Amino acid sequence: MLKQVEATILLIGFPNAGKSTFFNILTGGTRKVSNYSGVTVDVGHGDIESNKNEGLQLKLIDLPGVYNLIPTSYDEAVTVQSLLDLNDYHQADKVVVLLDYQRLEASLSLGLAVRDVVGDENLVFVINKDDESEINAEMREEIKQRTGVQTLSTSALQNNGKVLDDFLRTLSYANKIDLKNKLPMTEESVKYFRKTPELDRISLKSDTEISSTINWYHDKSRDVLEKVIAPKNTKAKITEKIDRFVLNPFFGGAIFLSIFYMIFHALYTWAGPVMELVETAIGGVGELLTGIMPEGLLQSLIVDGVIGGVGGVLVFLPQIMFLFFLLSLLEQSGYIARAAVVTDKLMGYFGLNGKAFLPYMSGFACAIPGIMAARTLSNPRERVATIMTIPLITCSARLPVYILLIGTFVPKQTVLGIFDSQALSFFFLYFLGSAAALVIAKVLRLSFFKGESGNFIIDLPLYQRPSLKAAFMQAWRKGKAFLKKAGTIILALSIVIWVLSTFPKANPDLLVGKTEAQVASISLEQSMLGTMGRTVEPVIKPIGMDWKMGVGLLVSFGARELFVSAMGTLYALGDVDEESESLRQRLINEKDPVTGKPVYSLAVAWSLLIFFVFALQCTGTMGVLRKELGSWKVPLIMFTYMGTLGYLGSWIVYTYLS
Amino acid sequence: MNLLELKVGEPRLIKDFSQNQSVYFKLLSLGILPGDEIEIMGKAPFGGPISIKHGSQTFLALRRSEAKQIEVES
Ligand SMILES: Nc1nc2c(ncn2[C@@H]2O[C@H](COP(=O)(O)OP(=O)(O)OP(=O)(O)O)[C@@H](O)[C@H]2O)c(=O)[nH]1
Ligand SMILES: [Mg+2]
Repeated sequence: MLKQVEATILLIGFPNAGKSTFFNILTGGTRKVSNYSGVTVDVGHGDIESNKNEGLQLKLIDLPGVYNLIPTSYDEAVTVQSLLDLNDYHQADKVVVLLDYQRLEASLSLGLAVRDVVGDENLVFVINKDDESEINAEMREEIKQRTGVQTLSTSALQNNGKVLDDFLRTLSYANKIDLKNKLPMTEESVKYFRKTPELDRISLKSDTEISSTINWYHDKSRDVLEKVIAPKNTKAKITEKIDRFVLNPFFGGAIFLSIFYMIFHALYTWAGPVMELVETAIGGVGELLTGIMPEGLLQSLIVDGVIGGVGGVLVFLPQIMFLFFLLSLLEQSGYIARAAVVTDKLMGYFGLNGKAFLPYMSGFACAIPGIMAARTLSNPRERVATIMTIPLITCSARLPVYILLIGTFVPKQTVLGIFDSQALSFFFLYFLGSAAALVIAKVLRLSFFKGESGNFIIDLPLYQRPSLKAAFMQAWRKGKAFLKKAGTIILALSIVIWVLSTFPKANPDLLVGKTEAQVASISLEQSMLGTMGRTVEPVIKPIGMDWKMGVGLLVSFGARELFVSAMGTLYALGDVDEESESLRQRLINEKDPVTGKPVYSLAVAWSLLIFFVFALQCTGTMGVLRKELGSWKVPLIMFTYMGTLGYLGSWIVYTYLS
Repeated sequence: MNLLELKVGEPRLIKDFSQNQSVYFKLLSLGILPGDEIEIMGKAPFGGPISIKHGSQTFLALRRSEAKQIEVES
C-alpha cells in the first residue's frame, strides 16, 4: 500500500463560530457543539472523511475559541499554544480562521491578527452562519483584496460543510507554515500556558500596548468590511424579545427554576414507562433462560451473574438517553448563557463567578467535561474552587442509583397538590448536590482560595431553534457509550462478583435441613465476597447498611453504576422466589436472615442516596482531576472531604429516619 | 454619565472606558470600542448583571460594577 501523505489544517476562530460543527461534519467526529461560548477547551484531531482514499490524507484540528491571540484563560492558551508550536512537532499546512457572520467585524479582527503571525498564503477565511447566502462573490473578493487572504462564505447548517470540504481538497499543500512574526503577549497572559512559551516566539508587551494593538485590529477590520452587508437582523429581534422575559428582573429567576424543575421532573416521570418495558423484557429473558438451561453453575452465571448484573443497569438506558436529549435541547437553544447571567449574583454569594455555571451545567452530564470546562475561568482561585466542587453536581452515573432507590422505597403521593413525591425527592437530590457544591465552594473561597472574583463579561449568543435531530443524535451516542460500558466493564465486573460470591462453596454440613432461602443466604455469606463484605460491615453498620450494600459501595468507587450491577448480581443469587424477577422487587423482598425483617427501609434507602450525593466514586474523575490540577494532592483532598460528607450525611439521615 | 445610570431601552454612544485593565481588555476583545452604540436590554434581579446590546446584532452581559466603568454620552 502506498504511504499516505498527510496535510494538517488548524481550525481557529471566535468562540461559538461553528468550529466544532465543521469538525464533526468533515471528520465524522463527535465533539461537543453547543450554542454558547467556550464549549471546546481542548485540542481535537480528526481525519477528513471525504478523501480517505486519495493519496493525500487531510487532518483537521479543532481548537478552543479565542477572541484574539492574547490568552486570558487556560482554554484560550491551548489555542495560542498550538500556533506557537507550529514551528516544531505540531506542524500544520493551513490555518482556517472561521468568522462568525453574526459578529463579523469582531471575528475578522482575530483573522487579521492570525494573518500577521502565519502570513496570508497559507490562510483561509471562512465566514460561517451565512444561512441565507447574503454574502456574494463581490464581497468576498473585496475582503480578499483588502486583506490578501482567500475568503469563503458558507453555512455549516445549510450547506452541510460541502463548501469547505470541496475547497480544502482543491488546495495545494506544498509547504508547512512558518511563523512570520513573534506573538505579542502580556506578562499576565503568559501565566495561562501549561508550559511557558519560548522567548523567541513571543514578545512581551505592556498592557497598554496590547490594548492598542487589539483596538487597531478592530479598526482595521471595520475598514475592510465597509462594503460587506451585515446579516438581516430578524434573529436579533427575536432574541431581544425572548430576553425581555428571560432576563427580566421579575420573571428571570422563576423561568430559570421552572426550566430546571421541568427537566428533572420530565426525566423522572416520562422515562418511567419505557424503563418498565425494558425491565419486563429483561425479566422475561431471565425467566426464559432459567426455563431452557439446565440448573447448575452455568445457569446461575448467566441468569444471576450476567442478566442480574448487566440487566440491572441496562434498565436505566432510557433515562440516560432522555437526560442527554433534554440537555442537548437546552444547550442548543442559547439559554445556558442566560442562566449564567441569572445565577451570577447567587454564585457570587458563594465566591464563584457566574461563568462557573457553565462547567457546573456540564457536570449534570458528567464531572469530567465539567472539570475540563473550568479552564474557561480566568481567575485561578475561582477555577480551583469550581473544580473542587463540580463532582458534587449530580452526574448521569448517579441517575440509576437514584431512580432505583426512589422508585422502590419512596411512597408515591401527591405533595402540595401538584408535586409527585417521587419526582420531588429526585429533584431534591439534584438540588442537594448543587447546594452542597456552592456551600463547599464558599468555604474554600473563605479559606484556602481567598481573593477577588474575575470579571463577568459574557456573550449572549442569538437564540436558535434546537434541532431535534441533533438532540436524538446526542442521546443515541450517549446511549451507545452506556451500552458499551455495560457490555465491557459492567459485564466483566458482574462475572467477577458472581465468581466471588459463588465460591468457595459453603460447607454442606451447614446446609442440612435448611430451607432453600436459607441455603442461598448461607452460601452467599460463606463465599469470598461474603467474607470480604462482613469485614467492612462494622464500618457501614452505623449508616444502616449490611454487607451486601457494603460490597456495592466498595465497587461503586470504580464507577457509580457498578453499585446497581453488583446489587443486581448479589440479590439475584440470594433470590429463590420465582415470582420476583426485577431488582426492585428483590430489594423489597430481601429479608434479614436472622430477624426475618425487610433489610431495606426508607431510612436505609435514604442513607444510600445521601452517600451517593456526596461521595466521589469515580476513577475517571480522579484521573482528570490529577491532569487538570497537576498533582494528586487536591484530588485526594477532594476524595476525603466528599467521602466524609457522604458518611456523615448518611449517618444523620439514617439515625433521624430510623 | 456611566452605563449603569442609563434606563433600559435607551441607546447611547460609548465615550470612554475606565482604567480597569481586565474589564477594558475584555470589552475590547469583544469588539466594543469607544464611539459604538450600546443599549441596556435588562437588569437581573437583586443587583445581578445587566444585559446589553452592542450595535444592532450582538448581545452580552456584565456585572453592574463593570457597567459603571463604561462612560456613555449623556
Ligand atoms: N445559524 C447557524 N448556526 C450555526 C452554524 N454553524 C454552527 N452553528 C451553531 O453555532 C453554535 C456553535 O457551534 P460550535 O461548533 O459549538 O462552535 P465552536 O466554534 O466550536 O465554539 P467554541 O467551542 O465555544 O469555540 C451551535 O449552536 C451551532 O449549531 C451555521 O452555519 N448557521
Ligand atoms: Mg467548539
